[in-house]
Amino acid sequence: MTLSRRHFLEVGIGIGIAGSIGACATAGSTSRSTGMPDWHLGYSNAPAGGFDPAPMKLAYGKAPAELKGSFYRNGPAQMQYGDQYASHWFDGDGLIHRIAIEDGAAVHQARFAETKKRREEQAAGKFLAPGFGTLGDESFSVQGPDDMNAANTSVLVVDGELLALWEAGSAFAMDAETLETIGPKTWRDDLKGMPFLAHPKVEPDGRVWNLAVGGSQVGIYRIAKSGELEDFGMVNIGRAAYIHDWTMTDRHLVILVQPWINENLRPPVVSGFEWQPQHGLQMLSVDKDDFTQQRWAQAPARMFFHTGSAWEEKDGTIKFDVVLYQQPILGVGGGSQEIRGEWMTPDPAENGILTQVVIPPSGDAQLVETGIIGEFPQVDPRFRGQRRRLTALTSAPATSRPGTTAVTVYDWETGRADTFDFGQSRMVEEFLFVPKSSGSSEAESWLIGTVLNLKAGVSEVCVFDAARVSDGPVCIWQADYSWPLGFHGTWA
Amino acid sequence: MTRTPSLVAALAACTIAVPLASASDLTVNVEGIAQVQGSIMLGLFDEASYNGDGAVNGANLAVEGESLTVTFEGLEPGEYAVRLYHDLNDDGEMNTNPFGIPTEPYAFSNDAKGRFGPAKWDAAKFTVEADGTTHTITMN
Repeated sequence: MTLSRRHFLEVGIGIGIAGSIGACATAGSTSRSTGMPDWHLGYSNAPAGGFDPAPMKLAYGKAPAELKGSFYRNGPAQMQYGDQYASHWFDGDGLIHRIAIEDGAAVHQARFAETKKRREEQAAGKFLAPGFGTLGDESFSVQGPDDMNAANTSVLVVDGELLALWEAGSAFAMDAETLETIGPKTWRDDLKGMPFLAHPKVEPDGRVWNLAVGGSQVGIYRIAKSGELEDFGMVNIGRAAYIHDWTMTDRHLVILVQPWINENLRPPVVSGFEWQPQHGLQMLSVDKDDFTQQRWAQAPARMFFHTGSAWEEKDGTIKFDVVLYQQPILGVGGGSQEIRGEWMTPDPAENGILTQVVIPPSGDAQLVETGIIGEFPQVDPRFRGQRRRLTALTSAPATSRPGTTAVTVYDWETGRADTFDFGQSRMVEEFLFVPKSSGSSEAESWLIGTVLNLKAGVSEVCVFDAARVSDGPVCIWQADYSWPLGFHGTWA
Repeated sequence: MTRTPSLVAALAACTIAVPLASASDLTVNVEGIAQVQGSIMLGLFDEASYNGDGAVNGANLAVEGESLTVTFEGLEPGEYAVRLYHDLNDDGEMNTNPFGIPTEPYAFSNDAKGRFGPAKWDAAKFTVEADGTTHTITMN
């Protein structure tokens, strides 16, 4: 980490912008207008109509001329109606962002996914739909999961079609340019309304795999690069574990069955989960060519949200990276407090540790902990399912607020963590690998991600060189406004 | 039961055979049919049968347009409810996805909607008056 670079980012940009808008807040301070801590900006409402396309200004560095594409992101952005707060962060309506980057310029726009939940709650001016952490109003009809769909977790582009993803219902098709909502995606008539997890896995050749989770029954989607559904099958994972993410090698799907169980999926869903550590963390490997070919492996009890990616050694050993927790987090209450501006320093047991899971050809799995506290692990899309070295993740939990302050690239071969810490005044979100036009190694990538600048009260898009993260951002584009923190994105 | 415009008697055994002194007619309009294919499978229920196995009357109506009408004759005035689904592929079953969520359109009288299950009787019931009643259901 170069202190001078960070110092410049903190002081140079911070004072310049803070001075210009007259809001010279320090991290952890309280907004005079709202009575909320400054970080609550990340959990506030976006405008109902989203954001019309607006150029972002280059606030720092030099934008890579070759970087051209759309950086899509998704996240909950309706946290409040009047005095009524959402019951849980995971239940806010999805706001789909597009940051179009070309010729060194970035243009931001965003639109809410127009779901039934969104339409009816906007019309009523209050929260109605049940959800992950929400009981919901008796007047709100629920004839299937899509009636509760918040479309708020991630985004996927398949053959040019933009999909806003939730995990318990259909993907929502969106116009990839205007971000207008098209509607729930039906992959095949007999699969209408089937869930589509927010963590599909895209092979380097463009084929997409994903899961549909319904209690102990899990559906498997295989989707061609063209967007056509090639296959769908079902497997039984034995118990109704919480499954937000999973992982995949070039030959196997790996479904992680964590011992956080809910046999009665009724809202608020989170209330029905029970931590049953006696089961340990079980992992089911499923042959991509024959879903009946399955193998179980066992690890100590851990909770997780996100994996990086997996690969297979010649002897069949499977290795993958995942952020593991000693016990369930967020679902237990954390996700409801932040949106009210409340935060408590978490117990160390609530920290997620970047860990490599090694599943040998036979016997129990081993956990290799890096000691790095972080979240949102990401890998180079050219190496998904393949042996690789690098994982990018957000790191360094903030000391006085939710979230993290740094981005790290961890090298599994050298054990080296290459980190840039933005400091307490920036909330750091997921960073994606974008392969450079020249070169073929993982390090020959850009990292692109969003950051909420609390000092200036604006949202930013930052680009790093994956080979030199600690040198600091290559460039920062800054919006004239802020948008709420999100979850996941994709580059297309 | 009048065949308008074209219908095949379903659940014929349930048809009330004994003429009632105060028999009245119920006309059900089904509107907003999105796909002109297959059949509307419609069941008429009283409170006792609504959560049971059989309907008091019913009809299987070929879909030939965006709306259709069926008339049930000789009903005893009182409270009834309609449950219907659009059998798009005419396989005689309400198809579902692997998790049991219907993949074919369905509706209830009063356009009532369920909450984690079918619409409740109280939400779907309506009164067939002595001098006849017309009830319209809009698919969505």
